[in-house]
Amino acid sequence: MAKPKNLILSSTVFERVVHWVLAGSCLFLFLTGFGLMFHSLSFMANFFPGGHYIMKLLHNIVGIIFGIAFLFALIAWGKDTLYFDEDDKKWFRVMGGYLWEVEKVPEAGKFNAGQKMFFMVLFLFWFIMMGTGIFMWFPIFPAEITRWLYVLHALGVVVLGGFLVIHFYLGTYGNPGTFQVMGHGYVTKGWAKKHRPKWLRDVEAGRRSV
Amino acid sequence: MNEKVMLIDVSKCTACRGCQVACKQWNRLPAEKTQQRGTHQNPPDLTPATWNLVRFTEIPLREGGVRWLFRKDNCMHCEDAACQRACPVPGCIFKTAEGAVVIDTEKCIGCEYCVNVCPFEIPRFDSATKKVYKCTLCWDRIGNGQIPACAKTCGPGAVTFGPKEKMIAQAYARAKALGGDATVYGDKFVKGTHVMYVLPEKVRMYEKLTINPSVPVSVYLWKDFLKPVSVLAIGAALVGTFFHYIIKGPKRPEEGGE
Repeated sequence: MAKPKNLILSSTVFERVVHWVLAGSCLFLFLTGFGLMFHSLSFMANFFPGGHYIMKLLHNIVGIIFGIAFLFALIAWGKDTLYFDEDDKKWFRVMGGYLWEVEKVPEAGKFNAGQKMFFMVLFLFWFIMMGTGIFMWFPIFPAEITRWLYVLHALGVVVLGGFLVIHFYLGTYGNPGTFQVMGHGYVTKGWAKKHRPKWLRDVEAGRRSV
Repeated sequence: MNEKVMLIDVSKCTACRGCQVACKQWNRLPAEKTQQRGTHQNPPDLTPATWNLVRFTEIPLREGGVRWLFRKDNCMHCEDAACQRACPVPGCIFKTAEGAVVIDTEKCIGCEYCVNVCPFEIPRFDSATKKVYKCTLCWDRIGNGQIPACAKTCGPGAVTFGPKEKMIAQAYARAKALGGDATVYGDKFVKGTHVMYVLPEKVRMYEKLTINPSVPVSVYLWKDFLKPVSVLAIGAALVGTFFHYIIKGPKRPEEGGE
């Protein structure tokens, strides 16, 4: 896509593709996972030829796709997310201005402190969901251990379920203009100034490209 | 309720293993290649094709030789069945009016959740068919007024089958008559099992017999706590973001800033 006038590239093709693969596989994992956890949602198995067996098999396979996609996510966003600086601490003190009126929200780089925390928690639960999921699929551990993997996997559903909804809200209705980061990748300067002023300065000064 | 109980009085068992054969015959289970391990217990363990096994526990005697303890091992058919709580496929593990806990192999997807939560380590996964198998309490026989194949064939009368209350009373009477360490095993946990034992020795003396079995805590945490909480978490997030939108409102780039 040719560079649109007055817009600024906020995410590369690589970032956008990784994000969509994560989003799609995550949604699939949630739907099929709920289809397996809740008997009342077992109608979901009707969408798969082969019923529950295929639904679970695809859950497992898509789980691996998600797991691998997250490795690319680490490459794409790890260096911008897996640390907190002084501004981030200040950001948390005012909760980024999301919950009450704040005079001035501390400046964020490419990602604000909340987004960084989101990615760190996602990283942790990526590890938990992959680690438990693979050994639920291939239960090589004694039953006394394997039965606790089910518990951890369900704990992941609780945390990631809540996170997913909030993540979706903040990326769409909650922050108008943000969804394009995942769409064509271009945002307005006003948006960048509001959400990632430090990053905008870096980009304009040529210290980083995206 | 038409609840039934299979009572296994191990004090009467002669370890003839007729029950093992009858089980295989009625359920059309193939014989399996086995191995001599220096014990009469054969095959060594329950398998996808061996749902009923007489376990031989050898107790060395001070004056030389051994004393044998026999125990017919098969599914206990719990009233509160952990396997049924864990199974993700509706109707795959079901309970009959008699109290038999049965796996519908047609519906089984081989997830092995039941294998890993069973307090008695009973269900067995067959990696060839990718399904799980275990004793059905001959639900196809008892549903038609017959008794399970193992009970039918038992010569010494160690395996009997009948109405729940009657069998429990019989079990306690027998344990009392045996005296000593004799106990009844089965009616006091997992809301009662539909297979019960009269054990002349303490529970711990018998191979692979769980002391104080219960539905694992992990199953409650998983199915009765985290499962509903996951819906609550998503619901709370939906409600929370909705009210955030209408009360605090979205963060518009054109507002504020400098």
